[in-house]
Amino acid sequence: MTRDLINLLFFPAGLGLIAAGLLYQWVDRKLLARFQNRLGPRWFQPFADALKLLGKEEIHPAGSSAFLFAALPVLALAGALTAALYVPLFGLAPVFSFPGDLIVTLYLMSLLTLCIGLAGAQTRDRFSLAGALRVFTQMFAYEAPFILALLSPAVALMLAGQPSSWQIGELVLSAAGQPWFLLTLPITFVVALVGLMGKLELPPFDAPEAETEIVAGALTEYSGRGLALFSLARAVELVVGLTLVTALYLGGIGAGPLAAVLFTAKTIGLLLIVVVLQTLLARLRIDQTVNLWWRLGSVLVLAQWLLLLIFRVLR
Amino acid sequence: MDTITTQSPPRWRTMLDRLRNWSLANSPWLVHYNSGSCNGCDIEILATLTPRYDLERLGVKLQGSPRHADVLVCTGPVTRQSADRLRRIYDQMPEPKFVVAVGACSISGGAFRGCYNILGGVDEVIPVDVYVPGCAPRPEAIIHGVAVLLKKLQPDRAEEIDRLLVEAGAVVGEEEGIDEPNAELLGAR
Repeated sequence: MTRDLINLLFFPAGLGLIAAGLLYQWVDRKLLARFQNRLGPRWFQPFADALKLLGKEEIHPAGSSAFLFAALPVLALAGALTAALYVPLFGLAPVFSFPGDLIVTLYLMSLLTLCIGLAGAQTRDRFSLAGALRVFTQMFAYEAPFILALLSPAVALMLAGQPSSWQIGELVLSAAGQPWFLLTLPITFVVALVGLMGKLELPPFDAPEAETEIVAGALTEYSGRGLALFSLARAVELVVGLTLVTALYLGGIGAGPLAAVLFTAKTIGLLLIVVVLQTLLARLRIDQTVNLWWRLGSVLVLAQWLLLLIFRVLR
Repeated sequence: MDTITTQSPPRWRTMLDRLRNWSLANSPWLVHYNSGSCNGCDIEILATLTPRYDLERLGVKLQGSPRHADVLVCTGPVTRQSADRLRRIYDQMPEPKFVVAVGACSISGGAFRGCYNILGGVDEVIPVDVYVPGCAPRPEAIIHGVAVLLKKLQPDRAEEIDRLLVEAGAVVGEEEGIDEPNAELLGAR
């Protein structure tokens, strides 16, 4: 009971997770700045940003529902924090687990995007509306390939006749006994990683919050606490997404503290790749994003699954 | 923010206030509005935000939405047309908020003072916290203006901020030195 509470509130989920998310965000911003030949922010920058936003006035814009305006940020953060309970954070066993939690986690991760979209759609500001439209369009673009890519390791294990499961805790244990799925399923790994960037609205998929076109996208009207909760939810989602991709594609989780350190190092390595991609690629227009995912992303995933089936038949 | 209290506030209250001031001073997000400037100051502000000076290392970020911003950076004199817009942007910002007026025109109207379509400086419309003189002020002057604002927020860290400015190559404490020749000049007249 006490152990559950500590797990839930402090470590690995809860406050510890939020702090880790803010640190990951700092790594992201610092590396991006270094790649752009700048010095970059100090290590406590995301903490100062979040604290400042929490301490500011929250303006409720006229014409939107007061209840939804206050509830959506809370729901977004709750969704991200709940999704974190089922993934092996920092290489430790998931806090909670039940059969089928892989699917539930993927849907919980979408809750943040849904909440941001709804938050934009229910204010009367034109920039919020344009941003919300783009959030939903982008979601329908990357969501299917992303989910299929994250389900691929389980399907591959099933087709190979190995012990497989829709339960993340069991799946990552059996993945630990296999060669890295990064090597055996390289195509879906790339789709999963790039899909994660789409989910987090990182460049080149930052059309929903394109500053030069639509101010701040769906969150234009948010100030103070609402904005702080959304940015915390983004930070948590960054950790959860990196953890999930690492656990499924980079060798699952091992036992002991050293394995946990190694796992965390792997997530930072993935973050490095994500930052390099952010630096290299310019923002895509929303129609280019949709084209990329439906013409290329989903076809690539299906090709990988076809390859799996062919190997299965030949064997 | 200023409240009149008859007794000193409880300890947790001062602690929270210090924490809030610390986070405000370490993460000032800007929104930039040009109420009739010739664009000279705007270009200097953009130069201040480029990698050459990299204000993100101090937590400064340029935001698009006034709802996300803490500091309104104004340039240029206020024209009669833009006065309403300037006031509306100021009203859209959440408390606590600060205004920095950059350039001679935003202080007094500058070269445009007395024109039929000019109201005057920014402080004709909204309260201003820091004035940065110059036509156009160099990026160093704008950074110094922001540092003055930060010193106002955290008076007990003023010396540290001064030291950081000196390390960055600024000459601090010359305000008195500037005043003296002016006094002599006036006396001579």
